[in-house]
Amino acid sequence: MAMIEVKRIAKSFDVKRRDERTGRFVRDKLTVLKDFSVDFNQEGVTVLLGPSGTGKSTLLRCINGLETLDGGDILVDGMSVRDKRMLKKIRLTCGMVFQQTVLFPHLDVMNNLTMGPVKLLGMRRKEAGERARFFLNKVGLSNKEKARHNELSGGEQQRIAIARALMMNPKALLLDEITSALDPEMTSEVLRILENLAADGVCMLAVTHEMAFAQHVASRILFMEKGSLVCDAGKDEFFTVYRRENERIASFLKFIGE
Amino acid sequence: MQAFDFASYARFKWSDMALILRSAGLTMEVTLLSLAMGTLLGMLLGLQRCSKNRAVKFLPLIVMEPLRNSPLIVQLFLIYYGLPSLGFHIKAMPAALATLSLNTAAFFAVLVHSSILAIPGAQWETGYALGFNKFQIYVHIIARQAVRLLIPQAITLYISQLQCSSLVSFVSLKDLTKAGQVVAQKTLLPFLIYGIVAGIYFALSYPLARLARYLEKRTGFTI
Repeated sequence: MAMIEVKRIAKSFDVKRRDERTGRFVRDKLTVLKDFSVDFNQEGVTVLLGPSGTGKSTLLRCINGLETLDGGDILVDGMSVRDKRMLKKIRLTCGMVFQQTVLFPHLDVMNNLTMGPVKLLGMRRKEAGERARFFLNKVGLSNKEKARHNELSGGEQQRIAIARALMMNPKALLLDEITSALDPEMTSEVLRILENLAADGVCMLAVTHEMAFAQHVASRILFMEKGSLVCDAGKDEFFTVYRRENERIASFLKFIGE
Repeated sequence: MQAFDFASYARFKWSDMALILRSAGLTMEVTLLSLAMGTLLGMLLGLQRCSKNRAVKFLPLIVMEPLRNSPLIVQLFLIYYGLPSLGFHIKAMPAALATLSLNTAAFFAVLVHSSILAIPGAQWETGYALGFNKFQIYVHIIARQAVRLLIPQAITLYISQLQCSSLVSFVSLKDLTKAGQVVAQKTLLPFLIYGIVAGIYFALSYPLARLARYLEKRTGFTI
């Protein structure tokens, strides 16, 4: 049994759209995922690629139970995201980091990290502190223990957010375009951390537009378009066979500069 | 113009001053009690306003909007003079307390609601993603920050309600303003007496205003 089983899920959003003819706002449904299935095992780094608006982020948010499904089901370690009582366990199993990271502004870095384990896992403060120092060291920010969110750069905040997710000891990390809001320097900073984590055997599921990351770190690549899976392949296969034979993937890779 | 007669100050006796100071006590009493009750009630209404349930969310507005959009003095008259005509007899003090409390609650609820809304939605999402439930996010994340936003605004509201408490003199309560009226009429020294009365209100309010400023600066974290 795979760790995450996505079974024929459907997800659409209610949107307001201005009617061209009448100029009034009308309710509309935007279908993002339709009859979408995929499995993830707890191994390596899976990268989700594809143009914007194809449902990559939505898929991650569904796995984390942040969105309610219209149809189908997702099982994380056998727990259904439809079961409200399981949500906490699911979210502890899959840590998530967002594009727009939020460190809680009323807490310093240390407390941002220890808050989850202390309040949710019942860890003792001292133990959590040691754990936090370990992960701060991992993301290269040991000297920022006492810093507040506004004293940190975007890249540093993102690294703290990764450490905060790791604090909960998840089986997998869901990374939702975590470098998209960063400049190239900070991006490489964050990606280096991810590479190290991957080398340590942390399982990741990442939506990204960083081809370098996909090429170096990914073990499996999913290419999505318009809410469906175009390709599900190993990295090497993707960058050779699919790039050559699938026109859509070829043009996407060309645009993105690879 | 009539020449000012300094001897007229002699009409202002120490006993008059004592009366004014004693009445300041009543003003404080009315203000503090109504602010305490108003804050509690306002907190409840404000939290209700944050609900996702439509009925729960809009119910408080039935109470709040009339209170926020009509003069306090009319509300006071409505309760003090209006209720007895319906058969509910109410004394001046309870009427004043009820009116001021309800009025405070209405404004306080808006502050609570807006402070909570001011915390960006991304913080909720981050909280959920970490595994917290709604209640835990409220307690550990949202409330901690909302309170810091709320306190300076609440103090400003309290100051304004302190000034508004002078209206209870209209329903025969012997508060600071009423005492000023009585003494001014007796001594025929309105400028001096009302000056003193205003000075006492100022002395009560100004430290609060400074405190609000201080807190605003100190807790001025960026979200």
